[in-house]
Amino acid sequence: MSLRPQKIEFDVVWGCLRQTVDKVLKLNRVERDDWNSSFTDVYTICVAFPEPLADRLYAETKLFLENHVKVQLEEFNCYRTENNDGENGQMMLHKYYSAWKNYSQGLEYLNYLYQYLNQQHIKKQKVSEAEILYGNGTTPLAISQEQMEIGELGLDIWRLFMIQNLGDILVKQILQGIERDRLENNLTSKDIETIHGVINSFVSVQDYKKKGSLHLYETLFEEKLLEASGSYFMSQASKLLQSCSVSQYMQEVIRVLDEENVRAHKFVHMNSVKKLKKECEDRMISDHKAFLYSECKEMVSNDKRDDLRNLYILLKPLQDGLKELIQILLEQIKNEGAESIMNLKGENVHIQFVENMLQVHQKYENLISETFKNDPLFLSALDKACASVINSKLSDGKTTCRSAELVAKYCDNLLKKSKSTESEIESKLSKSITIFKYIEDKDVYQKFYSRMLAKRLIHDQSINMELEEVMINKLKQACGYEFTNKLHRMYTDIGISVDLNNKFNQHLKNLNDELNINLSIKVLQAGAWPLGPQTNISFAVPQEFEQPIRKFESFYNSSFSGRKLTWLHHLCAGELKVSLAKKSYLITMQTYQMAMLLLFENCDSMSCKEVREMLQLSHDNFQKHLQSLIDSKILNLDTEKIEDASIISVNLEFSNKRTKFKITASLQKESPQQEVEQTITQVDEDRKLYLQAAIVRIMKSRKVLKHNALIQEILSQSKVCFAPSIPMIKKCIESLIDKQYIERTANSSDEYSYVA
Amino acid sequence: MKIKVKSWTSVAWWKWIANDENCGICRMAFENCCPDCSFAGDDCPLVWGHCSHVFHMHCICKWLNSQLNQQLCPMCRQTWRFNDR
Repeated sequence: MSLRPQKIEFDVVWGCLRQTVDKVLKLNRVERDDWNSSFTDVYTICVAFPEPLADRLYAETKLFLENHVKVQLEEFNCYRTENNDGENGQMMLHKYYSAWKNYSQGLEYLNYLYQYLNQQHIKKQKVSEAEILYGNGTTPLAISQEQMEIGELGLDIWRLFMIQNLGDILVKQILQGIERDRLENNLTSKDIETIHGVINSFVSVQDYKKKGSLHLYETLFEEKLLEASGSYFMSQASKLLQSCSVSQYMQEVIRVLDEENVRAHKFVHMNSVKKLKKECEDRMISDHKAFLYSECKEMVSNDKRDDLRNLYILLKPLQDGLKELIQILLEQIKNEGAESIMNLKGENVHIQFVENMLQVHQKYENLISETFKNDPLFLSALDKACASVINSKLSDGKTTCRSAELVAKYCDNLLKKSKSTESEIESKLSKSITIFKYIEDKDVYQKFYSRMLAKRLIHDQSINMELEEVMINKLKQACGYEFTNKLHRMYTDIGISVDLNNKFNQHLKNLNDELNINLSIKVLQAGAWPLGPQTNISFAVPQEFEQPIRKFESFYNSSFSGRKLTWLHHLCAGELKVSLAKKSYLITMQTYQMAMLLLFENCDSMSCKEVREMLQLSHDNFQKHLQSLIDSKILNLDTEKIEDASIISVNLEFSNKRTKFKITASLQKESPQQEVEQTITQVDEDRKLYLQAAIVRIMKSRKVLKHNALIQEILSQSKVCFAPSIPMIKKCIESLIDKQYIERTANSSDEYSYVA
Repeated sequence: MKIKVKSWTSVAWWKWIANDENCGICRMAFENCCPDCSFAGDDCPLVWGHCSHVFHMHCICKWLNSQLNQQLCPMCRQTWRFNDR
């Protein structure tokens, strides 16, 4: 065999080739020799001398394929006229499917046989991929006249004759098949394969196209599928609606959705799966949203988790579908939360407040994780609801919100005298942080907490120093180090003081010195403790204490230079052994009371004036502490009221069953309510300073800023600590303008600039 | 009446002995730390000069390190000498 171009008789060569082509298409057996010589035939025709006859071969092959398909088509003629429901229709589908299977198979071989023609003759004329994709001016005419590879040509002919003519009938049959699957669910696996195969033929027949290969599938089949499915879903929905409750309806819809998903994967092209799902959701969920929502409130308030879970599954895919559900949940949490902390009364309001609120929080957190898959939208609704409940003003008409105070008190209570075990306390503290995080006025909490911490530390009321540290660290985690800085310093001061006492005792031992009393001293850093500026309380220290104080001061000054100690006698306490009426008592009391009693060691009576002048106590302090001693019946007073001329005398007939007891200052100078108000005003002052500092900081870096931008910046900076009110910010801006830190710019009324 | 003091728990606070409220270099209050520190007190101590001026130790050291020739007190321009007391 020669590869050289030679003169040939086209009809003879084509005659031979044609037989092979025929066999190939019918999937009959082809002898190896025939197959090989056919390759040569294609080649010789394409390179024929004097003129290549490729175009003629192409035309003849095209004609042959057309005829072949036309013959096939005729076999379907009977179906085109008759009514072909049920069995008959199925038959047609099977027949088409097997015809298509054979044809596409044969075509594949044929394409191989014509490879030379495809490669050498047709590829050369083909528009390049890039040109198709970017549509480089090629007119549709040019494309239609263009020659195609034989395989593609065959597919196109199939489309033109078979699908064009039978398409609508096929689609109708397919849809009937699918409907039967939906209603009766009795398709055999062969039926399923056929339907899938037929549908797939709509795709395969244009698969070779680079662009719009799904066009035929979409217009011929998909549109009708969606339409038919839509009306099926609609009728299904209305049927269900007549007989079902909301909860049953949701179960049914979920079942339908699942089935449809399986069905879609069974029959249709990937592209349609989503569209079909959407159609189903539209018809069965969106269209009946009002129905689904009709019992939503009740589901939430009765905690019907299964229903809620189903509702979530159904509404999640819809755009904004969950909005209403979230809103309903939010309202429910708000109401339940507000109810749980309303009308709290009695001694332990703080405990009830925190624990009730926690209960609500926990309940809904649990609900969200169990039924709503911890959806962030729901979690943020929970946060929003809790924050709004916790920061809302209590209904008793007071203007301030007490949450911060109550939570602080709750912690104080835990750390002071709870009988629970250490791990219990710790877990309760952790939970209190959950509530704490919702508080807007974190600075108020901080004030209260630090006052309570100070009291616990100074009066040795903490049940466990480790727990104190744990709690401070928890707060630090929640709000940052700035927030707990002072708390931490207070905590370390106590540790340092313990060391200091040990060193002092060692120091005394080294000097062979001894104190006549058992002394323990706490040394605090002035700036860190919320003790107020009470430095100048006048008091003449009794001589019993003078010596220890002097010794400690000299020890302290030798250890630390440049520090000045101030004694806070109103915070000190001690234990006295008092022998009275032949019995002795151990009495714990405050320093001022000790000093007063010590005066009576050697004399039995004295006038009030004398006592006060000796001790140099202020009027208030004197009255308060004297009264407590009188109340405890150790001292007697000869008048009803404490007056300068009144005579105080020792009660020589004093007797008490208990030999060990404690005297507390009876008249609390500050009632708790006053203390609270004082704390609030202090917080207000601190806030003003904080805001002013923030404004100056911002303006220093920005130089010029609009009013609104400045407000925004301030709000975002102060968010960690508290939520400042706009009037307060405005006041701060005014006062900074007065102090000439910033000024209004000349050309605009709502713009400020920094004054360097 | 016979009385014996068994024990006494006393509380005192300390402040720096300084002729000013604030550090002349960083303008922070002495009872707070310098801008580079996070804890006041022993972690951020004060130092006294012979000229009687007081600063955060960190602040004056930074100042002295930034001076090329002479070590002067930033307040009174006298030669800075630490007063160890």
